Amino acid sequence: MNQALAQRLSDDLLRPMLHTSWRFYALVACLGAIVAMGIGTWFYQMYMGFGMTGINMPIYWAFYITNFVFWIGISHAGTLISAILRLVNAGWRRPVTRCAEVITVFALMIGAMFPIIHLGRPWLFFWLMPYPSNRMIWPNFRSPLVWDFFAISTYLTGSVLFLLLPMIPDFALVRDKTTGWRRRIYGKLALGWQGTTKQWHRLESAMQIMAIAIIPVAVSVHTIVSFDFSMAPVPMWHSTMFGPYFVAGAIFSGIAALIIAMAALRKFLHMEEYLHPIHFQNLGKLLLMMCLLWAYFIFAERLTTWYGNEQSEMEVFRVTQRGSFAPLYWTMIVCNFVVPFVLLSLKKLRTVAGCVTASFSVLVGMWLERFLIVVPSLSHKYLPYTWGHYRPRPVEIMITVSTFAAMTLLYTLFAKLVPIISVWELKVGEHPFPQESPADVRQHPLWKAHP
Amino acid sequence: MKAVYALYAEPDDVQRAVDNLRAAGLTEPEIVVISSEPIEEYEFSRRDAATWLYWIAGGGGVIGLLFGTWLTRMTELAWPLPTGNMPIVAWWPNLIVIFELTMLGGILATVITLFITAKIPAGEPKLYDPDVADGKILVGVENPRDASVAAIEQALRSGGVADLKRR
Amino acid sequence: MPHRWGMAVDLDRCTGCGACVTACHAENNIPTVGPDQAARGRAMHWIRVERYWEGEFPDAHLKFRPVMCQQCDAAPCEPVCPTYASHHTEEGLNAQVYNRCIGTRYCANACPYNVRFFDFFNPQWPKPLHLQLNPDVSVREVGVMEKCTFCVQRINAVEIDAKAAKRELEDGDVKPACVQSCSAKALVFGDLNDPESVVSRLSRSPRGAKLLDDLGTLPKVTYLSKQTQA
Repeated sequence: MNQALAQRLSDDLLRPMLHTSWRFYALVACLGAIVAMGIGTWFYQMYMGFGMTGINMPIYWAFYITNFVFWIGISHAGTLISAILRLVNAGWRRPVTRCAEVITVFALMIGAMFPIIHLGRPWLFFWLMPYPSNRMIWPNFRSPLVWDFFAISTYLTGSVLFLLLPMIPDFALVRDKTTGWRRRIYGKLALGWQGTTKQWHRLESAMQIMAIAIIPVAVSVHTIVSFDFSMAPVPMWHSTMFGPYFVAGAIFSGIAALIIAMAALRKFLHMEEYLHPIHFQNLGKLLLMMCLLWAYFIFAERLTTWYGNEQSEMEVFRVTQRGSFAPLYWTMIVCNFVVPFVLLSLKKLRTVAGCVTASFSVLVGMWLERFLIVVPSLSHKYLPYTWGHYRPRPVEIMITVSTFAAMTLLYTLFAKLVPIISVWELKVGEHPFPQESPADVRQHPLWKAHP
Repeated sequence: MKAVYALYAEPDDVQRAVDNLRAAGLTEPEIVVISSEPIEEYEFSRRDAATWLYWIAGGGGVIGLLFGTWLTRMTELAWPLPTGNMPIVAWWPNLIVIFELTMLGGILATVITLFITAKIPAGEPKLYDPDVADGKILVGVENPRDASVAAIEQALRSGGVADLKRR
Repeated sequence: MPHRWGMAVDLDRCTGCGACVTACHAENNIPTVGPDQAARGRAMHWIRVERYWEGEFPDAHLKFRPVMCQQCDAAPCEPVCPTYASHHTEEGLNAQVYNRCIGTRYCANACPYNVRFFDFFNPQWPKPLHLQLNPDVSVREVGVMEKCTFCVQRINAVEIDAKAAKRELEDGDVKPACVQSCSAKALVFGDLNDPESVVSRLSRSPRGAKLLDDLGTLPKVTYLSKQTQA
């Protein structure tokens, strides 16, 4: 391959790692402060008692579970882009694949904290792990929360490996291009990678298998998260549709998060050469498709509820669409459907800025959607005497805000320490794919055979 | 570690060099080709070589499946506690945990096999040249027999514009 | 034949006096959460008297319904607990094991009757109120779920005494605190496996119905509907 091109790629993509401005330190300091406040708030909550939150009878799950579902949903970005696009040989995925996988790993780590944060006795969370204990008791495998533990652990392990494996050749590249302490550290991280044909062959086969394996795991993870709701006899939770509905919503919010991350990288790390408007166009089209799919699921769910006219379900239906939750509900509809539909279906508006605006709108809308699944149903269950209302307290708001800061912080640190665009995958994409069709077919193109 | 190798800029030259080395009597495992990216269109990349990895991943999946079945069934029977009118060994929920452990088994088997067969993390220092990071492709032989060194150098030189080195 | 504990509530007799609620608090060491927390919806009444109004003043009718844990045979709160803190005993009770509870609160969400309560703070009994605590019942710490147990400590105490005295249990030997304190004798407790016990006969009454029985929870509390006009 063209030496000059290869060198330029390496230089451009390693530059963010090697040159640091004061703005980086300022950003990390700000985000770090917010994250530290969030962690402090959590310790405060553990010390003072769970009553510091706004949880009450009957609304026993609210902000923390909303955040849990939201972040696990965001984590589906990476699987879609890295794994699915890899399997269908979509070349345009190459600059995007690591940006996406990083979102998956960090969103999963953040999401997985919430089942611990929302516990009444969080220091005992390890009782969900199956280990022989002197209490002579095992976890209850009938509980969707135990399924959550297995699903999220598997997905986290798979995603971390899926992220780390293709990083090894890039660590070798950084080792070769740097000196001093960087050379030593990246040399260790490169695990002695040489780049022999055998190693490349094995790595690509392993990536192919991981891509095939990670897709069903991703689908199962958010389905199992949806089972936390659909397994309980709560009005408008006990729906057979929750599995696919949640997975569609997850991919929807994941693509939105990815577009925002890519736009930020493009702007702040000057990656205009590598993240082109066509990438945003393509992802914007995918986002539009998921927007329509989400709207289809909402319509199917609401129609079934309204047509069935079951008393308890209609009460939840009424309170979300016309009652106290109506402002949030209609904001969600505008943010999740109207804004993305307009911005993404008109080619003139499907610019980088248009995609980013639509993505922010989708993130707001999807957070509200999770909230509106959890809280209205719990607030209006079967016995009207026990209906209640919920208002978030400062601890919940602080912890929620700090998770967004944590995600941004982790992403920023990652982009500083690892090439955020996979250098070797981009180099491979610069030369054409091997010819797949046999030689004689190429001699007789179809349009010539049938004049 | 002794080695004789050359650096080429073009993959065509690499293919010629590899063919020459084979003609000089060297076997596949002795010829080392190192690049900074996988170059799939050429025969030297052994792109079409069969891989056992899919079977190993499948095997790992089967191990995960058996482990998951054993874990759920054994723990449910070890200290049976009735819940919600459901059976003690509840297969519908167990299937979910079994599925997750199956996938985990396949994933871990793949990664462990990759590490073992690609020989990473590497123990002793291996053949490498920093020019590879700039896009050059290295073709060479590690620890060659002294008698064949000249023949190897001849083969490498006739591959094309070469940067012959000895270590 | 093992016992199968159940209750019957006669809505014709209930006057809504709330003695059952008070007795339950006293017997089971339930904390009073204070007016602020109660206004936030965190009052912990293991048995509560639900009050519904029908009509407008001056023709308003008042209906009372004491609701406690229904000890469902197909309890939705049991399979969802990840640590088996909520499980079914051989005598048909839904047991809540405080030591196993890590406070996920899934059981409370799954309960259609909303009869499960969470300890939001460590309960306080400023002296000398600590002297009224029942030594037969544990005091729960912050972060665990609790609910009506049909006064399992009283059931166990009577069973142990009967076993030691080598006699069978009679109907009426076991009286949970609410049943004991009900001045109108609206609450009845007994063994549903004994076809002659009062609770068994009342469960077969034509006035009898179960709460939310279309959900399939198989509750063991029979409510005898109100026939008189208030």
